[in-house]
Amino acid sequence: MTMYSFQSQIGFPILSVMTFLPTLGAVAMLLLMRGRPRLYKFTALAATGATFILSLLMLAKFDQYTADFQFIEKVNWIHRLGASYHMGVDGISVLLILLTTLLSLIIIPASWNYIKDRELGFFASFLFLETGMLGTFCARDLLLFYVFWEIMLIPMYFIIGVWGGPRRIYAALKFFLFTMAGSVLMLVAIVGIAYLARPNQYAPPVFDLDQLQNAVFSFPVQMAAFLAFFIAFAIKVPMWPLHTWLPDAHVEAPTAGSVILAGVLLKMGGYGIIRFCIPLFPDAVAASIPYILILSIIAIIYGALVSLVQKDLKKLVAYSSVSHMGFVTGGIFAFSVIGLEGALLVMFSHGLLTGALFLMVGFMYERLHTREISAMGGLASPFPVMAAFLLFFTLGSLGLPGLSGFIGEFLSLLGLFTYNKAMAVVAAAGIILAAAYLLWMYLRVMFTETRDQKWFRLSDLSLREIASLAPLAGLAVWVGVYPNTFINIIHPSASHLIDHMSPYLAQHGDFLTRIFASLGGGR
Amino acid sequence: MQHDVVAIVPELMLIAAALVLLLIDPFLPPEGRRGLSWLGIMACLPAAASVWLARSEQFSTFSHGIALDRFAVFFKLLLLAVAVLAMLLSEKHLAKNGRLLGDYYALILLATVGMMVMASAIDLATFFVGLELMALCSYLLAGFFRYRERSIEASLKYFLTGSFASAILLFGMALLYGITGSTNYQEIGVAISTTSLDSHVLVIAIVLLLGGFAFKVAAAPFHGWAPDVYQGAPTPAAAFLSVGPKIAAFAAIIKFFTIMLGSEQARWVPLMIAVAIATMLIGATMALLQRDLKRMLAFSSIAHVGYLLLALIAAGQSHSNLGSSAVLFYLAAYAAMNMGAFGVLVFLANSASFGDSLDEMAGLARRFPGAAGVMAVLMFSLAGIPPTAGFLAKFYLFASVVDAGYAWLAVIGVLFSVVSAFYYLRVIVYMYMREPSAEAAAAMEPAGGRSWDLSLGLGLATAAVVILGVLPGPILNAAQDAVAKILGS
Repeated sequence: MTMYSFQSQIGFPILSVMTFLPTLGAVAMLLLMRGRPRLYKFTALAATGATFILSLLMLAKFDQYTADFQFIEKVNWIHRLGASYHMGVDGISVLLILLTTLLSLIIIPASWNYIKDRELGFFASFLFLETGMLGTFCARDLLLFYVFWEIMLIPMYFIIGVWGGPRRIYAALKFFLFTMAGSVLMLVAIVGIAYLARPNQYAPPVFDLDQLQNAVFSFPVQMAAFLAFFIAFAIKVPMWPLHTWLPDAHVEAPTAGSVILAGVLLKMGGYGIIRFCIPLFPDAVAASIPYILILSIIAIIYGALVSLVQKDLKKLVAYSSVSHMGFVTGGIFAFSVIGLEGALLVMFSHGLLTGALFLMVGFMYERLHTREISAMGGLASPFPVMAAFLLFFTLGSLGLPGLSGFIGEFLSLLGLFTYNKAMAVVAAAGIILAAAYLLWMYLRVMFTETRDQKWFRLSDLSLREIASLAPLAGLAVWVGVYPNTFINIIHPSASHLIDHMSPYLAQHGDFLTRIFASLGGGR
Repeated sequence: MQHDVVAIVPELMLIAAALVLLLIDPFLPPEGRRGLSWLGIMACLPAAASVWLARSEQFSTFSHGIALDRFAVFFKLLLLAVAVLAMLLSEKHLAKNGRLLGDYYALILLATVGMMVMASAIDLATFFVGLELMALCSYLLAGFFRYRERSIEASLKYFLTGSFASAILLFGMALLYGITGSTNYQEIGVAISTTSLDSHVLVIAIVLLLGGFAFKVAAAPFHGWAPDVYQGAPTPAAAFLSVGPKIAAFAAIIKFFTIMLGSEQARWVPLMIAVAIATMLIGATMALLQRDLKRMLAFSSIAHVGYLLLALIAAGQSHSNLGSSAVLFYLAAYAAMNMGAFGVLVFLANSASFGDSLDEMAGLARRFPGAAGVMAVLMFSLAGIPPTAGFLAKFYLFASVVDAGYAWLAVIGVLFSVVSAFYYLRVIVYMYMREPSAEAAAAMEPAGGRSWDLSLGLGLATAAVVILGVLPGPILNAAQDAVAKILGS
């Protein structure tokens, strides 16, 4: 039995072409262009550029009025194991795909001259990574998802380990083993539910999400599988207290690696929770809401407090990610349409702003050869353009209305507020703390007296560097000023998901929920 | 089932080739021995073709001593592939060490005959003949560099432990014969499941069989010989010895524990669970401590045996034959990746004065980018990272374990696979992320030409690892069909 189908929304299987185009580019580079740096750099640019254009094309043809999956492709893969090559996107994945293709394109010119050693491998790794990321966002089959999910580890491991800072080997191994430890447990859970979902014991296991969503699992099974999935995703998010790999990985990774790590890989966690945990294990999710919300709030406050005391600029941005990601999990587990949309917008906006901040840290490091905040100071006079851009992204990141960070965190807090007022109040303190650590950082880096007169002889941001920051800034303004463009894309899928969840939410009122209710309302 | 000598045609072909090799070798000048490997390879190809042509029917010969069924077809093709790979890896290495002799290839062919007999035997006596043929050739292969003390030590150690293991197995088989009165697998299985036998003797027989096989596949607590043997044996021979005998032994274990002892699974499953956990534990933790790559690969193969035993537990418990087919698929993946990894070591030993130590791998990606790339793919596969054969094999194996109701065993297994990822990744760390020390750099100075055979062998192994990881369908189907036939018969 063979089956092959793709929805002829666009005339060709766009998701597969988009996913595997970067790999094609990487293979061509590795096989044909060894020792010709200009040629392979332009090939990398062309491959990521074409992928970005394809994602825009997909967005243009995307139907905003349905929660159904679109651009579906389905081919038999391992028939006896019930696994198929099944791809499709909805409003939740489509924005993350856009973010992925955009950031993957931007980092190519941004690291044009940054890497001196084994450049070919560096650019090829990012192309392989893009395939893994896009595949993860498109996969509609659990086994296929897992394969893409793990494939991402390999290029990232090389990017940190080969082109990273002095403690790169430790950071790379920690990153790899942390993530793998989480995901192998998820693999056991995947297998478990795939076999439980069979109609009879002679049928092949069920990995297809369309069929799995109709399966009903008992509460203990749901809870065990949910925990396995959730830990894997929480490590990626990263949620407190599973975040310890993140500062190491970020500090040691090369700039482009940090951009992708913060911009896209962290989003995998939130995406996985939304895409898999909620539809597959609604009872378990409903039962664990208060606990996860507490962890989210701890992450918001803890990440912000730790950011306050960082001496290393990159580490500060890294810990601020832990705080921002708290708004993502908080928004998701508030279980209202607004909160979920807020969480998704935080993910999108964090990708733009933190990606840009990491790029800027990289540009500063290329000039000053340090990331110590105390070694900087007064950079605004020698580098006015840089100061302007850093101010823009700093303000965006701390949630200035009119830029993307505000919209997402506001909606997320609104969602949290409808769930529990006390929690929303505590979480809102995170935004105040964000203003504190970001503005204080900006003050110490850009203002005060210029520490080193040599800096005046260094050049400000070049056109190439501005070109890689400008699209991020433009999108941040767009999301901040007219978020409806993006919310409209998300909305059908988000409200569909909340509708799906609502019958389960009413059933669970445990001890902790009652305590919250006495503190600040509740539903 | 047809009675026909067709059932042993591939074995006869290999024996004939081995005899030709032994006969012409003394008359050849040293340089004339180049290309002898191709005589062996050219014998394996028609043998494989004859197996392939007979795949849709069942043959037996030696009064039901050997059967050529789907199960045997799968294993014979796999073993022939392993033999071909082993011969491709060997020539340059033997020549460099002054031991390029036809005997070596003859021993590989005869060992392969022994393994094929083990995999296709359906009678205890025939099985034992195959086992001894394989074992004797293996001892000689381990000691083939007879000028090296280590090689002789490996051979002697292998011989002593191997002989004990054979004796223990033989005793277990004798007890089975004693209580059932038959040497035929099927008849023994029927006798055990239908008549009330002396259960004490049966338990002793089970323990002896399990112990003997644990020796043969290097499972805890009888794994101690493996690191010494693989380290001391010539590297291409170690590649062969770390894969071939295990494949054949697992073929026999599946038949023993499902056909004969399937009804007694309540007795052997707990024992096998303990052995499997201990094997994974020892393999994974000891491999962490190794600085010698051959010893590291030896302990890693012990860990892989632990995973394979998990699937056997599933095979004992499960209503479906998922567990047995998981063993088959895992063996195919393991053969490709393990032989490939040893093959890279052979390549490095040929191209530089490589001494198998981890330190000498530092900076390898700059000096030998191709070899480093192949090794990286194989290490990711051994660690079980997609899109490689190692991942799908582990996935399928753990799926069978979960399906059989042992989710907790699967959890233990995957956690050990995280531990083992560390030492596989460490090889990649050394190759790509570290700069070599001065003496390591001197040792790894490229010297000596490339060998076409070896590159072909490495290419085939790597291609197999990737293809099995991306499109496993055909091999998976073959594995499932193979066990469906044997359990149905």
